[in-house]
Amino acid sequence: MAEESFLADDFIRQLMSVGEVDLLVGIPSYNNASTIAQALHSVEESLRQNFVRERAVILNVDGGSGDETRQVFEQTSERREAGHKGLTSLRTIHRISCMYDRSPSQGVALRSVVAAADLLRARACAVISPATTNLTPSWIANLLRPVYREGLDFVAPLYVRSRFQGLLARDLLYPMSRAVFGQRIRELYSDEWGFSGRLASQCLEQDVWREEAVRTRPEAWMGILAGSTGLKCGQYFLGPKTVSPSATGPDIVDAIRQTVGNFFWCMETNQPYWMSRSNSPSVSTFGPEHELSADGIPPSQEKMFELFRSGVNELEPILASILTPDTHAQIKAIALSDRAKFRFAAELWVKTLYEFAASYHRAVLNRDHLVQALVPLYRGRVYSFLLEHANSSAEAMEAQSEILCQEFERQKPYLLERWTAKS
Amino acid sequence: MQDSPTPPSIVSQPQPESSALLLQDENLWYKDAVMYQLHVRTFCDSNADGIGDFRGLTSKLDYLQELGINAIWVLPFYPSPLRDDGYDIADYTSVHPSYGTLQDFKDFLAAAHNRRIRVITEMVVNHTSDQHPWFQEARSSRENPKRDWYVWSDTDNRYQGVRIIFVDTEMSNWSWDPISKSYYWHRFFNHQPDLNYDNPAVREAMWKVMKFWLDIGVDGFRLDAVPYLIERDGTSCENLPETHEIIRDFRKRIDLAYPGKMLLAEANQWPADVRSYFGNGDEFHMAFHFPLMPRMFMAVKLEDRKPIIEILEQTPQIPENCQWCIFLRNHDELTLEMVTDIERDYMYDEYAVDKAMRINLGIRRRLAPMMENDRRRVELLTGMLLSMPGTPIIYYGDEIGMGDNVYLGDRNGVRTPMQWNGGWNAGFSAADPERLYSPLISNPVYGYQAINVDSQRRSAHSLLSWTKSVIQTRNAFRVFSRGSIEFLNPSNHRVLAYVRRLGEEKVLIVNNLSSSAQAVELNLQMYKRHIPIEMFGRNLFPRIGDLPYLLTLGPYQFYWFRLRRI
Repeated sequence: MAEESFLADDFIRQLMSVGEVDLLVGIPSYNNASTIAQALHSVEESLRQNFVRERAVILNVDGGSGDETRQVFEQTSERREAGHKGLTSLRTIHRISCMYDRSPSQGVALRSVVAAADLLRARACAVISPATTNLTPSWIANLLRPVYREGLDFVAPLYVRSRFQGLLARDLLYPMSRAVFGQRIRELYSDEWGFSGRLASQCLEQDVWREEAVRTRPEAWMGILAGSTGLKCGQYFLGPKTVSPSATGPDIVDAIRQTVGNFFWCMETNQPYWMSRSNSPSVSTFGPEHELSADGIPPSQEKMFELFRSGVNELEPILASILTPDTHAQIKAIALSDRAKFRFAAELWVKTLYEFAASYHRAVLNRDHLVQALVPLYRGRVYSFLLEHANSSAEAMEAQSEILCQEFERQKPYLLERWTAKS
Repeated sequence: MQDSPTPPSIVSQPQPESSALLLQDENLWYKDAVMYQLHVRTFCDSNADGIGDFRGLTSKLDYLQELGINAIWVLPFYPSPLRDDGYDIADYTSVHPSYGTLQDFKDFLAAAHNRRIRVITEMVVNHTSDQHPWFQEARSSRENPKRDWYVWSDTDNRYQGVRIIFVDTEMSNWSWDPISKSYYWHRFFNHQPDLNYDNPAVREAMWKVMKFWLDIGVDGFRLDAVPYLIERDGTSCENLPETHEIIRDFRKRIDLAYPGKMLLAEANQWPADVRSYFGNGDEFHMAFHFPLMPRMFMAVKLEDRKPIIEILEQTPQIPENCQWCIFLRNHDELTLEMVTDIERDYMYDEYAVDKAMRINLGIRRRLAPMMENDRRRVELLTGMLLSMPGTPIIYYGDEIGMGDNVYLGDRNGVRTPMQWNGGWNAGFSAADPERLYSPLISNPVYGYQAINVDSQRRSAHSLLSWTKSVIQTRNAFRVFSRGSIEFLNPSNHRVLAYVRRLGEEKVLIVNNLSSSAQAVELNLQMYKRHIPIEMFGRNLFPRIGDLPYLLTLGPYQFYWFRLRRI
């Protein structure tokens, strides 16, 4: 019996009407009625300004919004430029939309986007978030252009972040992905990125779309897949990013479940590739000279240390099954240390993460529970980081990040050792 | 007094089927015309001097009748130094000796009328040649009575900021006259001084010229360069109210003394600006729709209907007794003045990669070479031309797919001799080839041995035969010339679909602008239960029902359907 298509007939009909395109911009949405029109205008403006002759389609994939996001997308009229006798772009900028009836999921939305890219033979694609309130036409162009003109297959964004923003990426995801997969992509987990039609087709063929890791954070999987299959990756400096206040991001537990869980799953599914990697060459970076860190106010440290300490206590049996005795002992020791002198050293942090990854691989316990067990340890690491860098300059923190990356790379043999160990 | 009989109404021809509607007002003949544009010099040479003439043209009228056209627009044939292909007129009431005599013209006119073909001629009203006696007198001294027939100035600072039209050749709209030691105004070449229409004597003189030709029997005039008749300080010197007054005056005189004669405006402007030249139906009967033409080419290259829809959406309604004139190519460059910079760059890159193909703000190429000799695209564009609202004009030679020669200078590359057969001088002239006014097209693709009337007459599937058939179909249904247009909005933007409607007559046109096969769903709920009948093969298509009407079209394919409720 033939497998049922995940693409609705109406969506196929819309794709048929669009025909072959050069560029595709996907806008996954869920209750973004207040911001999607602005995002749409930015995309259309970008296409008009930067890709005058290209055939383009803007695709909204909605997760069943209750606020008429899809209707706003469909009914927002194209802005007409003044001074051109009412003429707009050279070509029709196609606008199509579809809705999926499962719970909102980036992965489900992305599957529709890559399917559309494949069917329409798009050469360059970008995904943007309607919740990003400072999305400019140049952002979209900057994500598309390296793919369309430079032949890259995956383009991640680079944002300016305050010193204390994005610590999960700075202290865990970036250095670990750099060491494990050899990809120096700082924002592997983001809401905006660009990719080629070739990569879209490759993604579409993968039988992974029901995996939780792909359903929640497909962009990192896509970037890792690109790197692991020899496709060209890069990043483009976009500047600072602000999001709609109504777009509440996941709490730290969900954030770690989604990102770290996704990362461990990617390690699991790409073993042959990363196990043979021993270096991390730099990737093409586009855009103006930039500072990645800006001044900012540190987040509240209240309760952070207490949550670390109580977590280490409460999760002792679980941590014992995940970590080696030596590492577990070191963590328990620092949990007992004086709050003011507390340090979660980089060496221990890297070792801890690698042991978590290896235990995930061996499935020593439910993988979701395993990843959640990392949460208190991450809090401890962040608390340590904030103590250490409360007065550090942005440059000093950048230098520290680089040292951490090197530590991840230095300990990669340990990861391999733990990964391949019998128990 | 008319020397030539007025042609019988074009609708008095046997009309098939639904074209039984009789023309209410014969004076609106221009609405139903399919016009053929030619230069007498290019068409046929009867006396072996290497230059086409009226006797030669007259000998080819059967061909034009067979083609199905019912009006001819003849380019300037007046005595002229020919520095601008005859648009530099030195005598308005005579025929250039190379083209024959005034009697030859009268004979041609009578022969055309006998074949139910009307004739309109060029009236270059804005300027004369600097060799015209009027200008010779005007420049002879500042006191000469004709002095004020032209626009003079002691400085070249007046009317500053007024655009220069021939940017490739002219540095200023003023030129120094060394004889009278002052500057004269010219919007085109410096050898074409502008007439001064503020002078009533000029208006009377030009009316006398028109009257001369109307008395002979011509059916109308194409008035050249009308937006530029009047100059005023602090303006663009284009489209001024006083210009409209002059046109209204000419029109009033024509309506009174010569009802049924037609005025066609050449005003290369945006539709909203051209609209004023129709006035309240009391200025021009017709005007060219310049911005539509490049957008038809653009739409086919982009494979997107947007440029056409966008410009037609901006096109204002015109009075009931008026009509747009539409065309694909003509004797000038494919003008790119009425496009945006982005569109112009695109057109250059796609249709004029070789810089030799460009002139002024345009492209000096013919239809077939622009379409890379692709029959499907030539037919698609011709089909659109003949099915859109307006009076279509076919440029001589395009009906057989003639090529061009962009290396001949100016716009001469699209003004080469008509290719009648594969023999001596393409059947155009018995002169020695060296005497021809222009070299023939002789390359292997478009040369006269390959592309000519005789060879295409022999094939029922030639471009010429196809063109005849499509003109015949258009002529058979008044809905094409008089009907309204309603664009359908299928989600497939590669398809341009519209319904022409006149009373109960309805025609559905569906064009695939794309190089690949397309499927399209049309919302035809308004025509539910109608049966589409394909107009060329007369085959029935499935009846229109409740669902969107699905059609598939091959690359560049188009359909014309009559929608009948039986």
